[in-house]
Amino acid sequence: MADAMTHDEVADLLALDAVGALEAADRELMERHLATCGPCRQAAAQYADLASLLPAALELAPPPARLRRSLMAQVYAEATAAPRLPWWRRLIAGIPENRAFTVVGAAAVVAAVALGIWGAGRNAAPAPVTYSVSGTTATGVLAVATQPAQAVLTVKGLQPLPSSKVYEVWLIPNQGSPKPVGFLSPGVAGGPWTAVVPGSLAGYKTIAATVEPAGGSATPSNTEVLSGQLAES
Amino acid sequence: MRLHLSDDDIVRSISAHSPEGIEALYDRYGGLAHTVALRILSDRGAAEDVVQESFLTVWRRGSTFQPGRGSLRSWICTIVRNRAIDRLRGDRHRTRLDTPIEDESIEPAVTDPWVAVAIELSGEEVRKALAELPAEQRRTIELAYYGGYSQSEIAKAMEVPLGTVKGRVRIALDKLRSTLADRMETPWQTQ
Repeated sequence: MADAMTHDEVADLLALDAVGALEAADRELMERHLATCGPCRQAAAQYADLASLLPAALELAPPPARLRRSLMAQVYAEATAAPRLPWWRRLIAGIPENRAFTVVGAAAVVAAVALGIWGAGRNAAPAPVTYSVSGTTATGVLAVATQPAQAVLTVKGLQPLPSSKVYEVWLIPNQGSPKPVGFLSPGVAGGPWTAVVPGSLAGYKTIAATVEPAGGSATPSNTEVLSGQLAES
Repeated sequence: MRLHLSDDDIVRSISAHSPEGIEALYDRYGGLAHTVALRILSDRGAAEDVVQESFLTVWRRGSTFQPGRGSLRSWICTIVRNRAIDRLRGDRHRTRLDTPIEDESIEPAVTDPWVAVAIELSGEEVRKALAELPAEQRRTIELAYYGGYSQSEIAKAMEVPLGTVKGRVRIALDKLRSTLADRMETPWQTQ
């Protein structure tokens, strides 16, 4: 259906969304308009920033010291236990946000991802297995390494999301409930979206991504944007 | 004292899966996150759980922050608010403020004096700007932001048409915008 909303009508919905009151039907209209309207995307960010100032009017309620201790103890424990971040993720994280990211650069990062996985397992494992994923507008590939057991999902063609939403990635098992495994992060300057899927894919039949509230959901909503069968392509 | 990191520095650190990034994020916005969660839940134990879960989610899944889609402040506020509202909706029957206050030291999460001053100035301005809003507009925003009410639920609770709710929220935010424009981090642009 064509987007027939005016900027003025969309502004009402942006304000509702900023304070968390927007309902699903209106959200669909709003997001359809935002997909093609840069000024309204900018207005959405500004309404979100404005709403985030509302808590400033409250008396600051400092958290107890033990909350910081508990949080950071957990974080450092997991950091110590987790394998060191692959070099290609550190490379991507180190790219300044304002650096022009050319098509060649984007291709180089995708190649680096593939080589990183291949390199990690080159002494004992075969080249990564790849699976195709697709949706209405999105296409991509899931590259899976066995040593270490992890996969990288790389996707093109996804629309930007408002700050209140994320693309959450799910593994769907042969039996049981979908498992949330991470979020797709946007590429720099329109580059492909990526997500690291840790662990083995054994026992899972499908990978999918849905639109969820920031922070993620325990179960996927009915907003699938892509999926792929975990059978070798 | 920690050297002052920009929000961009913090985002890059989180993206690199650095514990220091989460530490810096918490030190800058942990107090705000706790304030939001406590205002919504009115339960200290639940608020602490929500704050911890929110920051651990950022740590475990990496930064999904999108520059240009709002500030780091609005991003972490949204994450904490969504989790607190989810908990509130599943917990409406519980008695509020039923968690005892533990007798222990309290330390501010904001350790950078510059940030503390900025937040304090902003707070005073926001309080004044909110106080200037008509009561029904202020109530509409509070029901949505802190109560987790949807547009239809607000219309029903306030016994007004849905269109009135939509108009009120936008008019209220636009008025706040005009009052706070010179305090915003970036200039507000109208279409």
